[in-house]
Amino acid sequence: MTARVLLPAAALLAAALWLAAALRLLPPGGWPALPFRPEEMGLSQIMFAFGLMPRGVVALVAGAVLGLAGALIQAVLRNPVADPTTLGISSGAQLALVMATILAPDLLAGGRRPVAFAGAGAAAALVMAVGARRGFAPVTVVIAGMLVGMTASAVATAFTLAQGEYLLSLVIWNGGSLVQQDWSGVRALALVLAGGAVGAALLARPLRVLSLGAAGAAGLGLNVALVRLAAMALAVAMAAAVSAELGLIGFVGLAAPALARTLGARRMEDVLWLAPLIGALILSLCDGLVLAVAGAGGEMFPAGALTGLIGGPLLIWLLPRLRGSTPPGTEAAEGRAPRLARPGRALAVMAVVVALAALVLVWIGRVPGGWAVLDGQSLRDFLPMRLPRLVAAAAAGALLAIAGAVLQRLTANPLASPEVLGVSGGAALGYAAAVFALAAPGTAATLAGAAVGGAGALALVALFAARRDMPPERVLLAGIAVSSLAAAVLSALMASGDARAWAVLAWLSGSSARVTPQGAASLAVLALGAWGSALAARRWLALLPLEAGVSQGLGLRLAPARLALILLAGLGTGAATVLVGPLSFVGLMAPHMARRMGLARPGDHVTGAALAGAGLMLAADFGARMAGFPYELPLGLFATLLGAPWLLFLLMRTTR
Amino acid sequence: MNRPAPSRRGFLGLAAGGLLLGGRALAGPSFTTGAGGPRLAAIDWAMLETAVAIGHMPVAACELIRFRADAVTPGIPGDVVDLGLRGSPNFELLQLVRPDLILTSPYYTALEPRMRAIAPVMSLPFYVPGEPPLPNALSALTGLAEAVGDRAAGIAARDRAGAALDAAAARLRAHDGRPVCIINIGDARHFRAFGEDSLFGSVATRIGLRNAWRQPTQFAFLAPVPMETLADFPDATLVIVSDVPVAARAALSRSVLWRALPAVAAGRVHVLPDVSAYGGVLAGLRFAELISAALTTPANGLPPR
Repeated sequence: MTARVLLPAAALLAAALWLAAALRLLPPGGWPALPFRPEEMGLSQIMFAFGLMPRGVVALVAGAVLGLAGALIQAVLRNPVADPTTLGISSGAQLALVMATILAPDLLAGGRRPVAFAGAGAAAALVMAVGARRGFAPVTVVIAGMLVGMTASAVATAFTLAQGEYLLSLVIWNGGSLVQQDWSGVRALALVLAGGAVGAALLARPLRVLSLGAAGAAGLGLNVALVRLAAMALAVAMAAAVSAELGLIGFVGLAAPALARTLGARRMEDVLWLAPLIGALILSLCDGLVLAVAGAGGEMFPAGALTGLIGGPLLIWLLPRLRGSTPPGTEAAEGRAPRLARPGRALAVMAVVVALAALVLVWIGRVPGGWAVLDGQSLRDFLPMRLPRLVAAAAAGALLAIAGAVLQRLTANPLASPEVLGVSGGAALGYAAAVFALAAPGTAATLAGAAVGGAGALALVALFAARRDMPPERVLLAGIAVSSLAAAVLSALMASGDARAWAVLAWLSGSSARVTPQGAASLAVLALGAWGSALAARRWLALLPLEAGVSQGLGLRLAPARLALILLAGLGTGAATVLVGPLSFVGLMAPHMARRMGLARPGDHVTGAALAGAGLMLAADFGARMAGFPYELPLGLFATLLGAPWLLFLLMRTTR
Repeated sequence: MNRPAPSRRGFLGLAAGGLLLGGRALAGPSFTTGAGGPRLAAIDWAMLETAVAIGHMPVAACELIRFRADAVTPGIPGDVVDLGLRGSPNFELLQLVRPDLILTSPYYTALEPRMRAIAPVMSLPFYVPGEPPLPNALSALTGLAEAVGDRAAGIAARDRAGAALDAAAARLRAHDGRPVCIINIGDARHFRAFGEDSLFGSVATRIGLRNAWRQPTQFAFLAPVPMETLADFPDATLVIVSDVPVAARAALSRSVLWRALPAVAAGRVHVLPDVSAYGGVLAGLRFAELISAALTTPANGLPPR
């Protein structure tokens, strides 16, 4: 019922916004007549017929394609928070295009779509492979998808950074602009939409059967695997086509089916035809707003940046509606970890190894033409430069690892890590705000900005978590939502092409080069403090992985314990992020390494994780400085390259 | 503990060259310029060009791989040490080259404390929002020359630059007097416009051209602008700086809107080779020479159909 009112109203508004732009360009009398013949038209008529009109149509078509793709994916996975963005499909396409632009530009001469499709398909296949091992549990699939997406974006960003301004075209593409100058984009996407519609019509019945559950559908004689494969391939192809044609337009595929269901669509067929309609309206409205802002003399702002902004809030709104998220037994990734009889000895060995590594790294390094060991004099000269960054890297690694260990125990979820808590994303937003708001931002101002941003994100997630009685996975998804919001804002900033955006991008990829001795010292003190606090809380950490009822029965007051631990993890992450940028995956890897080594008790686990994190970050810092000497690669990229294979291994491993 | 372990060669099989890093060893021949002036290290590209223009080749500079590709001239000798990324220079290497003076610009303010710990720092503004950069680039010549104690070189370089700009202006008297729109193609749908507060815009004004792009720009370049905006300048001649990306080249040749743009339809499109958009006086001179040569010869057009 509401659909009958809301949809026409939205359509009217979108049409009005477009008409306003059209009238600004050309009074109605001057509108060109059909068929369009460019050779007989004036310039503003050409701009009307080959610029504004295809732009208006492409918004509708691309929105419909994305809405349909989202509806299909959600139907296949029976997962209301899945869409091309949350499954990493769009980021996979982005990475493929970035790599092709840099490494093999000739590949793009044949159009962007094959490259984008290859990347999108690879990302989707990876996420599906992970999902298949976990019974396609909605939250797990989305977490895996968003992590794959983050990894792809991190690598793409690092490549963009390394190429400097050459990649102007990629910056535009990342933002997802709908500007058109002929009808070729509309034609291409209309064909995709037509193909998608036919495919969806054919798949509607099997999908409805599938909605009974895989076992039930198979019992009714349905080839479940084939239906899933066909629907996913169709959705990926549609999403990749939009990515190649227009760029990254996030979350339309998430919003459209969600709104369709909210407006009362219950049956599969209803969702499948209503979602494209709503998607078209969403993208039209967004681009109408962009046109209105541009007409009012504002800067160009790509429509994709606007739709990206709705993703974070939308995910948080959808979370409480997520039911039956995890089939039992599918999330227990660890199996039985070994347990050391004498953990103290292992910890001592780790501490010695980390200390030795730090000592060696102080002394050796590359110079033009080879490697060198410092003599006494040079050591005195170099120590003020090398020691702070080594200390800072180790301390940041330890902080992230402690935060990761605490989060993994708190949520009993092996994929918990500070990177997905949203703190890094919030800190990045704060940093960007400082860089853009101040004429000549100093170190103190940017640090303050990042700290405030990180704390804000933490407060948001904690607030959300507290209100919903904190089901562990949803805290993670709330964190991911914050991260994606931060990523959307940053990509909008990048698309504005401002020189300051490069400063933000450089910081985002992480570097320990700018750390001052005071900064390193305070980071080390913080790491020690976090370690001490985690040790003090080891009873909580021992009880929390048990079920809520059990730990409450053992006398644990759940809410305050959870809140305190989230704060500890958030502050640790924030501090590490503020000083050395949002580094990736150390907080995920280190606790697992400690656990696999047999450090089972909470105190040993946290200590071992901290040591492993420090060691990992020292290794990443060394690699970042040495691999491209004298070009210092982004520390975040190096940490990601160490962490991503580990993450995939972890996700792919069969449970028990 | 204070000495490197005796077995250091043992665990450093790679220490082939094994450069001795003692202070004195570093003043070896590979790092000297032979010019006799102070040893300069340039973080900022505009400062690098300024130093080269006054005849004091720095001993080290940032991102030389990219500089050689983007700026083309001036050529940087192979023995100048590459310091890595401008935004994240290799401070240890900077220390190793023992500069007497580090040349930078306000863009790298955040790095200055670290640089000052190594050597005195000279930071000159080139790109200030709302100001044409050319006067800044010209006064940087004399400013830097005084700082290195070679005042005459600065004045001479300034005069040479002035003469070259005058020559370009004289050559352009043969030009038809149309305004120019100086752009850089991002993709088939977007470009970047160089306004008065960009190096290209301010050089164009100095040599007597009218820049069609009157809007204020941010730092050296404006945000990507939709291609249809070019229709606002029906009289202008299009000057495209730097090569057009492969994918954009193909798409532009098909675009109805692009072909309908007055400048394109009338064949008033010139493509210039790469020029550093963030350069100093030498990039400005290179641009002046290229644009004055291009505008006084038939358009070379874009894209090939």
